[in-house]
Amino acid sequence: MAAKIGPMDPPSSASSDSDIIDAQDYSEVFPDQEDQEERSGDFYNTPASPITVPYCPRPPSTGSQKSPKARRQRTTSLNQGTTTQSKPDVIIRTPQRTIYTAGRPPWYNSEGQKVVPFVIGICGGSASGKTTVAENIIECLGVPWVTLLSMDSFYKVLTEKQHEIAENNEYNFDHPDAFDWELLAITLQRLKEGRKVEVPIYNFMTHSRENRTKTMYGANVIIFEGILTFHNLKVTEMLDMKIFVDTDADVRLARRLKRDISQRGRDLDGVIKQYTSMVQPSFNHYIAPLMSHADIIVPRGGENQVAIQLIVQHVHTQLQLRGFKLREELAQAYAMNSGPRPPTVKLLPTTPQIRGLHTFIRNKDTPRDEFIFYSKRLIRLVIEYTLSLMAFKDKCVETPQGVLYHGKRMATTKICGVSILRAGETMEQAVCDVCKDIRIGKILIQTNLQTGEPELYYLRLPKDIKDYKVILMDATVATGAAAMMAIRVLLDHDVAESNILLVSLLMAESGVRSIAYAFPKIQIVTTAIDPEINDKFYVLPGIGNFGDRYFGTEPNDGC
Amino acid sequence: MGSADIDMNGAEYCKEFRRLKVLPANDQIKELQTILRDKNTTRSDFKFYADRLIRLVIEESLNQLPFTECNVITPTGATYNGLKYKSGNCGVSIVRSGESMEQGLRDCCRSIRIGKILVESDADTHEARVVYARFPEDIDRRHVLLMYPIMSTGNTVSKAVNVLKEHGVKEDCIILSNLFCTPQAVQTILESYPKMKILTSEVHPVAPNHFGQKYFGTD
Repeated sequence: MAAKIGPMDPPSSASSDSDIIDAQDYSEVFPDQEDQEERSGDFYNTPASPITVPYCPRPPSTGSQKSPKARRQRTTSLNQGTTTQSKPDVIIRTPQRTIYTAGRPPWYNSEGQKVVPFVIGICGGSASGKTTVAENIIECLGVPWVTLLSMDSFYKVLTEKQHEIAENNEYNFDHPDAFDWELLAITLQRLKEGRKVEVPIYNFMTHSRENRTKTMYGANVIIFEGILTFHNLKVTEMLDMKIFVDTDADVRLARRLKRDISQRGRDLDGVIKQYTSMVQPSFNHYIAPLMSHADIIVPRGGENQVAIQLIVQHVHTQLQLRGFKLREELAQAYAMNSGPRPPTVKLLPTTPQIRGLHTFIRNKDTPRDEFIFYSKRLIRLVIEYTLSLMAFKDKCVETPQGVLYHGKRMATTKICGVSILRAGETMEQAVCDVCKDIRIGKILIQTNLQTGEPELYYLRLPKDIKDYKVILMDATVATGAAAMMAIRVLLDHDVAESNILLVSLLMAESGVRSIAYAFPKIQIVTTAIDPEINDKFYVLPGIGNFGDRYFGTEPNDGC
Repeated sequence: MGSADIDMNGAEYCKEFRRLKVLPANDQIKELQTILRDKNTTRSDFKFYADRLIRLVIEESLNQLPFTECNVITPTGATYNGLKYKSGNCGVSIVRSGESMEQGLRDCCRSIRIGKILVESDADTHEARVVYARFPEDIDRRHVLLMYPIMSTGNTVSKAVNVLKEHGVKEDCIILSNLFCTPQAVQTILESYPKMKILTSEVHPVAPNHFGQKYFGTD
């Protein structure tokens, strides 16, 4: 049974937590078709019969548990659970489409404010086809960033006595009391706020939570499924759309029988005993009445395409209303805006040196070694300037000459750099040259070539980053979409807005204004502000693709 | 002397002497100066922060060099109105402490020529005299960045300037890059050489004379 473990990761948000995706995980690993079918079938096996299953292969929740995490935990000797999921679920392949769940698209609007995600609750009896419905919705939505949260993650930890009862097939896992509602409500609430959550991993062997957790992130769409999703009032109130999957009891029993007997080696009597004594009564008593809370009742489950289409249409309308089309809006939003720049925008004094350096860097015929050399000089200047914007306090020191000297020292020693890959990395060296032993975090944001939207792929930040002044580095800022996403990430990690300094070599007027408007407390430092952005979102006159030119990866001789 | 007084001094002197430029006073530079002056600073810190301040002074010194307008085409096909520095500059460091600034200059201008002058003060008479000087051959046609971090009396620098002039360098082509100097030294130099420019980070009555020793670790 444990053999099924690998592909059991349900479609999920590839969460963007700091320890999730390593570069090598971009390899396309697909759960193969057979496994996927098996999984859909298996999905509804409520853990009523844990003992016959050596390790319940069903992932207690969806999320982003991936091998790198496990790997990393090994290196830090924290890994206590067995590594059950070895495949990164970066990509979900369905017969029709391939859904990438690695890059996280914007979860905020063009003003940088978080947009409340759309939460869909799916309720239904055991083996009614909830997962199939969820999967079909995800597939038809075409929204790349979806978080799927399962109630199974929230089973209570059993006491020794309860454990024994469970061994005898007599613990009722279909009863509302089997769930930790408090934790569930908090988790869903945080997800809805776009924050990072640690979802417990429930081990059906030991009936306890494993030491590791799954890190999940809020998403544009959150699907929450389980047998009793509408049971708790607090949880129900958070759901924007409530779907009840109503499958005939005979069908459900047939599915359960087939699954438990053929796939789990259990005997007919045991399955029927459990079904009649607990699963069915619980359904009648607790689950069926929840139907009255539902907005939509989907008969026959996943195969009901008409119902799914209706649901998807509604979700699309809702997402549109919430506004997730970012970059284009940003490019236009402040293009017309003139008037004085906000005071948080700090432009380095345009000295002859700086113009001279820009001349080298912007010239398309500058060879790469010169480009790198002069970029570095310019970067050094902008970083030095950035540090002068920090808070300082007076300090009096003794000099070897015997007189006191009234000087200043920086008020904080907690400064860290965060670079936006790839171009921002070019600035790391300068920060290290200027601040001894500084910590450096990284954020990888890539533009989705189809949508033109930025997507978050990777991030790793110093642990207590909320206590730091953060120098956020990107070489160029055009529309500001990537920078804004990075800022949003920092804010989601509880960094105070006033502790962030966004530093870049070149910015476009509209990008500067968008960011300054969205985050009025962030200081923005740059060496030049160019007036325009072209239709490929490059700054004009600009530098071209800074990262490509610096690292020498431009296609055929530059542009 | 409070820090406000010092700043005023700097600004005052700048007004009095057009040819004196002080690095724009900001807290960041003040911090660097504080660390360098603090007698409890470790040598590794001292060198680290000295190099940072030197880099800033050198970058600012380069701003004083001549340039011409120049347009370039960017990779996006647009035109950028930039400027180009004229060639024909060189650095001259006064041994020994001036050599601490050579690396900073090299980091900015990879292939710049650097000459050296060794000025020694006589142990008995305290009179400075030039012991050694070596320059690029065509120094008379070049702009010279004269590097010397600490100036308390100005004697050493004036000897060095005399040597440069003997080699045909025009006075208005000499820019002194300096970290700390005293008001007295500013006055002496600018009055003796009416066309020369000084660029420094701070004008303060007490010069941190331990700079060279601490930087090179011979204290």
